[in-house]
Amino acid sequence: MHSPAAIETTSAPRSRRTWLSRWPFVAAVFANRGAAIGFVLVVVLVVAALLAPYIAPFEPTRMGAGPRLAAPSLAHPFGTDEFGRDILSRVIHGSRLTLQIGLIAVGISLTAGLLIGLTAAYAGGWLERILMRGVDVIFSFTETLIALAAVAVLGPSLTNAMIAVGIAAIPFYARVTYGVTLVERNKPYFEAAVAAGAAHARLLFIHLLPNIIPPLIVVATLGVSTAVLAAAALSFLGLGAQPPSPEWGAMLASGREFISRAPWLMVFPGLAIALSVLAFNLLGDGIREALDPRQRKA
Amino acid sequence: MRRQLGLHLPIWEQYLLYMSRILQGDFGYTIRGNQPVLELLLTRLPNTLYLATASLVIAMAIGLTLGFIAAYKRGTWIDTTLMVTAIMGVSLPHFWLGLLLLFLFSVQLAWLPVGGQGFGSLILPAVTLGLTNAAIIARLTRSSMIDVLNQDFVRTARAKGLPKAIVLFRHALRAGMVPVVTMLGLQFTYMMGGAIVVENVFGWNGLGRMAIQAIFQRDYPLIQGFILIFAILVVTVSLIVDLLYALLDPRIRYR
Repeated sequence: MHSPAAIETTSAPRSRRTWLSRWPFVAAVFANRGAAIGFVLVVVLVVAALLAPYIAPFEPTRMGAGPRLAAPSLAHPFGTDEFGRDILSRVIHGSRLTLQIGLIAVGISLTAGLLIGLTAAYAGGWLERILMRGVDVIFSFTETLIALAAVAVLGPSLTNAMIAVGIAAIPFYARVTYGVTLVERNKPYFEAAVAAGAAHARLLFIHLLPNIIPPLIVVATLGVSTAVLAAAALSFLGLGAQPPSPEWGAMLASGREFISRAPWLMVFPGLAIALSVLAFNLLGDGIREALDPRQRKA
Repeated sequence: MRRQLGLHLPIWEQYLLYMSRILQGDFGYTIRGNQPVLELLLTRLPNTLYLATASLVIAMAIGLTLGFIAAYKRGTWIDTTLMVTAIMGVSLPHFWLGLLLLFLFSVQLAWLPVGGQGFGSLILPAVTLGLTNAAIIARLTRSSMIDVLNQDFVRTARAKGLPKAIVLFRHALRAGMVPVVTMLGLQFTYMMGGAIVVENVFGWNGLGRMAIQAIFQRDYPLIQGFILIFAILVVTVSLIVDLLYALLDPRIRYR
């Protein structure tokens, strides 16, 4: 289901890749250089995660794979840590955790936010007031604080960090869904469907849902970057993934002790986080611009 | 212990008791050390506020200037370079940038102290937090200024012969600042959140550092107090920003 805005962009980028013209929206996204770079980075991340056991030279938790705190070399391109573990292997395996965190956290916030926002906007009345005021209250606490509170209650672990980050973003997704749904339900097609006597389920799932999904995809793509960043921060603080795990934030936390002797311990995991976040930011920005060719809200 | 924390009461009674005590200024006592929570929080609060304010000043100075330049030079290589830098800045984790700066300025160059609580120790955390937020402000300022520069009143002002500088700074800047100021409230809360992380990187003795220690020690009265104080701060800042908003945009009046 394309919004009219997406279709307008078809003629604009005259792409040499003609097969792309079959999917005008995809072509519009790839016409944006940033989005293309973001997409490539995301693909690299996904491939690294899928093939981690095959491309990583060592087991991520194997101690003594090399000398302790060895500087980057041919045998260990990213160096080794205080237990002689190979940093490159750990960074590659870390991509699995990062993708997992991003998808699960966004999955939680998207599902719950979608339900709340859609219900509030569709039902109206007292239900709308209760739900949206509740969302407003929680929204004012800021995501970091909610995530911290959730971890404080649940206890530090990677799973709990994902849940905490997911919960923290629910109000944001609820607001976006609510806003988009309000616009959609005032459009003629929706009124026509109501007039034709469509049932609630049909109105919600056949008419509304397909039209509110595209803007939510943008938000969710950008949301992955926020979630990855937040979860890495929690792990860095010691509230997420725990030490032997090759999670990037946790690697940074244990590497900071060796900041003067072995700076590579903090360079590569941090770079990995920054590039993953950048990838989803670029991709999300690109999709947004393709959906809104005026690029007003760049 | 159970009786001291009131755990023998039903949950709603515990809540009422807690809230009524809060209203009387009694936040309870920490589990570790049995110190009054409110007092402990208030001694740390100024440090967090210094950090957040210093970061905000840095972020605004850099973000507004660069965003303004990018909007003015839009479409040129200057604009592109600035915006590429900005999106990279948005993607940098605070704690990583903090570690890198720490490594460069404190470990390698030894210009600034590692840790400590003096003015010199504030510089790195403030720059860390300021730079990542400057990127967000720059992106926002740019899009807002581009919007304004395309509007009729700016063209009219130019057409009636006013110098470019006056139109830019007196007419366009003021109108362009409205959405930016609205965002500043969110920015500040975002910055307070970032402060929690950055304080822990640099060992800055603010609320955030205490909160993380409290979580590790499972000191629930302290965690609750922290969350409450933090929420009050956030709401106060949003209120101030709403009032500022009316000051900038004469079309909005609160009666």
